[in-house]
Amino acid sequence: MGLFYALMAVGLSMIFGILRIVNFAHGEFFMIGAYVYALSAMKMGLNPWFALVFAGAAGALLGVVVEKLLMRPLYDGYQSWSIVKDEYAVVVTFALSLLLIHLVDKVVGPSPFLGPSLVSTKRIALGPLMLNGQKIIAAGVSVFVLIGLALFIKKSVWGRQIQAVAQNRFGASLAGIDPVKTTALIFAISGLLAALSGALMAPIMNPSPDVGSFPALKSFIIVVLGGMGSIWGSMAAAILLGVMESFFAVYVSYDYRDTFGLMVLIAVLLFRPQGLAGRKGRET
Amino acid sequence: MIGERNLWANKLTLDLKFFMLLCGLIALVPLLELTPYTLGILIISFYFALIAMGWNLLAGFTGQFSMAPAAFAMIGGYTAALLNYHFGLSLWVGIPSAVLVSALLGFLVGSTVLGLKGPYLSLTTLALAEVARVVISNSHDYTRGDQGLNVPTLMQSRMGYYYLFLGILIGAALLIYSLMRSRYGGFLLAIRDDAHGAQSRGIPIVKYKLMAFIVSSSISGFAGCLYGTFTELVSPEMGLIQQTGIIISMVVIGGIGSLTGPLMGALIVYLGSEWLRSVGNIQMIVFALTVIIFARFFRTGLWGLFLKLYFYLFSDKKR
Repeated sequence: MGLFYALMAVGLSMIFGILRIVNFAHGEFFMIGAYVYALSAMKMGLNPWFALVFAGAAGALLGVVVEKLLMRPLYDGYQSWSIVKDEYAVVVTFALSLLLIHLVDKVVGPSPFLGPSLVSTKRIALGPLMLNGQKIIAAGVSVFVLIGLALFIKKSVWGRQIQAVAQNRFGASLAGIDPVKTTALIFAISGLLAALSGALMAPIMNPSPDVGSFPALKSFIIVVLGGMGSIWGSMAAAILLGVMESFFAVYVSYDYRDTFGLMVLIAVLLFRPQGLAGRKGRET
Repeated sequence: MIGERNLWANKLTLDLKFFMLLCGLIALVPLLELTPYTLGILIISFYFALIAMGWNLLAGFTGQFSMAPAAFAMIGGYTAALLNYHFGLSLWVGIPSAVLVSALLGFLVGSTVLGLKGPYLSLTTLALAEVARVVISNSHDYTRGDQGLNVPTLMQSRMGYYYLFLGILIGAALLIYSLMRSRYGGFLLAIRDDAHGAQSRGIPIVKYKLMAFIVSSSISGFAGCLYGTFTELVSPEMGLIQQTGIIISMVVIGGIGSLTGPLMGALIVYLGSEWLRSVGNIQMIVFALTVIIFARFFRTGLWGLFLKLYFYLFSDKKR
């Protein structure tokens, strides 16, 4: 399970770690990805691999739109006291998550094309094997995307701009990097990753409008556990959390398995805010 | 500086006056011969208004975005219910102990998490709220899990509950008003506007944040407990994150950092969502969209818009 969450958590880590914005709508990016994938593959008869790309593109687009419409005031000289920066983001992304869930519920939800049985046949269409085959392929794609992302951030000009903005937003703007554009790029990548993991998971878990909330919570835990803004930390934490949760479920209590991760989150925030691999955030 | 403080205090007094005016109007509403159903909806929106006011003290006046108000309401409701269910204690013991337990938990939670800032505080309180809800819904032996617990009611008459809730709302508004007009209110505002500044002037910020947290969580607990006696049922659903989301939205739409705002927001959101439910199941869409629009463009909410209009008319007369 860890690897699927890793893909999503890295996406969240980009926003949360670099921009310090809590995006409660991240799970809904995941959900949108799953829906775009399932709908375009089933209704329009696209090749599943093509639908995967399509879903990723839709996620990236959604990320950019959200950033343009809602996130701009966060760093465009936002002065008003009434809702301070973090709180604005919390309120807006929370409302956005509700909006997306219910919009999808209203628009696609009643559609008979999305019955769970139709979705479960998808797994044969993509993977030549059974459920396990699908999982292996999804894991392979995840690893491939994650490595690609790491290379992109390390090597490419855009990736370096992201690094620069993450280190010092003001300094980056002095060096001629447009922080606003970079932020849009970060949102696009984050949306892309979430939608991709949604699309990859779509054949395994039947997409429903509220499918995103659970993985979103998991990825918050992973990001915090792994350390802010550290991709490798997030990946390690994803796998670690997956293993620990299984142990907890088996040896301690099955009923409380979902609270375990939350307790980890609380403990990490209180005792080791830098997580496994992240540097401690500078006071700004 | 003194002038500004006075200006703010004047605004708050104006706020209280309008709150009272609104409550006066609300008190007249039952004269319209409402159906018990409508009356019930109004009472539930008072319940939300009460939690929203408590949360607003913490978020609007102190700037600490807890995500646990609904969880505290759930805890308050369960305290009274469990005392009654297991020990047969009457509500006259149950209600005060519900307030006491939520204040105590507020103290424990607050003293652990209030050192955290911004999004970390929101995340930690969110996680704690979820843990509390899962624990309650999984402890079948003590709480009967998702089935919920029956609670005895204070009185059968809905009219009685209507005025009880209204009275408590007024009481809470007076409490918050006097708190905010006192020295401590000034400290809370200072913490919201500039925590570092406040700290360097020697204000023990964690202590005052904690105070606001305790008051806020006891108000939530009290509200939850009363709600339990009104519906004669408490269930873990009271503590869902969505409930917290609704409360936050009410405050944002009504106007954060004011007294009248949460009440207006609660009435509009809850009555509006009941009405939209009858139109078609679009209430959540409309409602989430409204919150986004308000948070994005009208940060002071309805109360802020109203205040602008009021000052506009007022200063015109002066000229």
